[in-house]
Amino acid sequence: MQVMAMMRPRFWTLYRALLSDHYGLSAAKYYYLKKRQRTWEPLVIAAALGPALAMAIAFIWNLTEKLFLAGLAFGQPHLALLNGALLVGLAGLFFGFFSVLSAFYFSTDLPVLVPLPLQSWEILGAKLAVVLTGQYAINLIVLLPLCLRYGLLAGVGLGFVLSAVVVFFALPLLPLVLASLLAVLLMRAVNLSRHRDKLTLIGGLVLLVVTIGFQFWLQNSLGAQDPEVIMEQLLSRADGLVRAAGRVFPPSVWAAQAMAYAHTGQGWLNLLYLVLVSVLALLVLYLLGEKVFLQGLLQGLEGTRGSGKRRQVSLDREGRWPLLTLGLLEAKLFVRHPGFALNGLVGYVLVPAMVLLPLFGQSLQNNPFELLALDRLPPAVVAGGIALFFMFMTAMSMIPATTFSREGGQLWIIRSLPLTIEQIIAAKVVGSQVVNTVGCVLGIVPVAFFLGWGAEEVVLGALLGVLLASALAGFLVLFDLRKPMLVWTNPIKAVKSNLNAMVGLLIGLALGLLLGVLIYWNLQSGTLWLIPLELLGAALLLGAAVRALVKRWAPALWARI
Amino acid sequence: MLKLEGVTKRYKGAAVNAVDNLDLEVRPGEIFGFLGPNGAGKTTTIKMIVGLLRADRGRILVNGHDAFAEPLAAKRSIGFVPDNPNLYPRLTGLEYLNLIADVFGVDGATRKRRLDYFLEMFELTSALGDLIQSYSRGMQQKLALTGALLHQPPLFILDEPMVGLDPRSAHLFKKVMREHVNKGNTVFFSTHVLEVAEQLCDRVGIINKGQLIACGTMDELRAASGQAGSSLEKLFLELTDAGDGHDEA
Repeated sequence: MQVMAMMRPRFWTLYRALLSDHYGLSAAKYYYLKKRQRTWEPLVIAAALGPALAMAIAFIWNLTEKLFLAGLAFGQPHLALLNGALLVGLAGLFFGFFSVLSAFYFSTDLPVLVPLPLQSWEILGAKLAVVLTGQYAINLIVLLPLCLRYGLLAGVGLGFVLSAVVVFFALPLLPLVLASLLAVLLMRAVNLSRHRDKLTLIGGLVLLVVTIGFQFWLQNSLGAQDPEVIMEQLLSRADGLVRAAGRVFPPSVWAAQAMAYAHTGQGWLNLLYLVLVSVLALLVLYLLGEKVFLQGLLQGLEGTRGSGKRRQVSLDREGRWPLLTLGLLEAKLFVRHPGFALNGLVGYVLVPAMVLLPLFGQSLQNNPFELLALDRLPPAVVAGGIALFFMFMTAMSMIPATTFSREGGQLWIIRSLPLTIEQIIAAKVVGSQVVNTVGCVLGIVPVAFFLGWGAEEVVLGALLGVLLASALAGFLVLFDLRKPMLVWTNPIKAVKSNLNAMVGLLIGLALGLLLGVLIYWNLQSGTLWLIPLELLGAALLLGAAVRALVKRWAPALWARI
Repeated sequence: MLKLEGVTKRYKGAAVNAVDNLDLEVRPGEIFGFLGPNGAGKTTTIKMIVGLLRADRGRILVNGHDAFAEPLAAKRSIGFVPDNPNLYPRLTGLEYLNLIADVFGVDGATRKRRLDYFLEMFELTSALGDLIQSYSRGMQQKLALTGALLHQPPLFILDEPMVGLDPRSAHLFKKVMREHVNKGNTVFFSTHVLEVAEQLCDRVGIINKGQLIACGTMDELRAASGQAGSSLEKLFLELTDAGDGHDEA
């Protein structure tokens, strides 16, 4: 056995260890199977995720059928395959960038791995393989039902099955390698600067805006006015779309054509392109591993040392209210970590950008927000919508729902300070609301300006929003206190892999929908004057409930950690 | 200043108590060394004193306050430096110190005076505007020490303070501990470095398998073991059974 273990390739051993650490496999095995503790957790996770996954798969199944039938009328039934391949490719490129950045540069295991007798490509490759494994899980939800439905409708043969299997494994490879190259080059560049955290954040946000811009361009290039006409044009101009997509991400086209024409030489040629380019990209990554990755990483580790240029700081400062100090601490620690900030602040950029970008296109009528007639809403509805935006964004930012989890090994600091848990929760709510209010205001102001909303409704909405968001934040902080994820090797896991963040998001969404329905009912019944009162009542009710829950549960939960 | 009465702690799923019915008293104005082999229960005891863990049984009194019944009053009397001072890496040194000073309610003038003194002594002044992630381990240790002393706590607790320190920093730490005690305060620290304990401590306590097996001044320990002139190392090894058969022939 020992001899077998010694013969096991180092890469495989490293991959298994990193995979187990990344997804908590060993920890799950230890707690659920060996210790028989927390066995309810997998059931809760399955109950929460199961219906969402089933809905997503059913949606893809039905969409594939619709696209297949619609495409058939234009002699382009493989449009469904192209959409799927494009989605997997672009999602891999976009999300892969953040995953890779997180795995390569924000992970705390690198100082342990680098001194081991491992080649750079082995570390880089094993980390990439872990991220890739996650992409395959996404493929199971997106690509597998799509291929199955297409296969059943088109009555495909063995060639399609073989081609689809190769595409399944090869397609996410290239976007991830490209994302890795981007990440490696970005970090090689920003690690030269002592402001690398800021530059990483800016680089990530620029990439985000570019991606949104691309979506906008794709939508705007269709140039139709009616949603039905859009679909018709999309289908009739499928070749154009194929060409457009091909320009942006050719492997999607190769993948789609490899499957669609699996029985012909053209199909095999496209498959060959996909495999060859993927292998070539891996080779480039391998070659750059030693030169760029390791050097960039070592530079980064060096870069964390002092600047050498010591800045004079003043020690003169009067004492400040501890609640404010702790609240600002919460905000600072979140926005200063590029990994937290990129994941948590993305919504503050994304939502206003989605509303605003189409305004600069051909016409406002091409975007889904036209259906909401945002520029013609009554002031009370605008105020209500802004308030709900504030509330939802506090959940989406993940700041309150992961507040204790993010402390990790530093939790001892606040635990050993003479503060009650009620004070700590209050401070954490203040911190999360400082970021949320600034983020929401920065997002709302340009939208209000371009849509011609009045100052009164914006201010009223913001005030109601702060109250609603604060109450929800209090609940989410308490929820995280219930079971914080304190043990992690990569701080981003405390945000991205934290069940509390996901549950928080769902709670925010559910509450937003509930209050949204109420506003809609007010709009229909002509009782617009009730909207601010209802939202104020909801905020006070939720706040009182949270206060009671904190008093009842927080001290015991705090003592239990 | 610090009194532990029948303190017991067993971790969930463990077969034995990490700390077992521990009685201990540390007086005002003394440096008390808390010694023991790895896993003896030193850190668990310290974590219970400072409020990071809760005891299953027993009572801990800090400056007259019950650490479990009146945790805030007890914590106000404590300054604590853990074995691995994992500080917020993305705060500057000054931001961290201001956080601690604000929470303990140290006014501006006192804060400045104490910061001037400690930062000068630890040569941290010029690094204060840098992020903590740029500090060496020793610098982080010194920053944590400065933070712990800002409110001049009556009880100063350090868990393995000498680990990772260079000789000069270790010397400064010892000096700070002695100065603190000379003002009538108390220092309670755990260590594996027996020479330091022997030089510095007014009294030592030795814990093994969760139980206090010896406590007193060096002379009292020697007298109890019947070995006049023995070093603390020899006494420690004998008391903890670790030295049997391994001493030089």
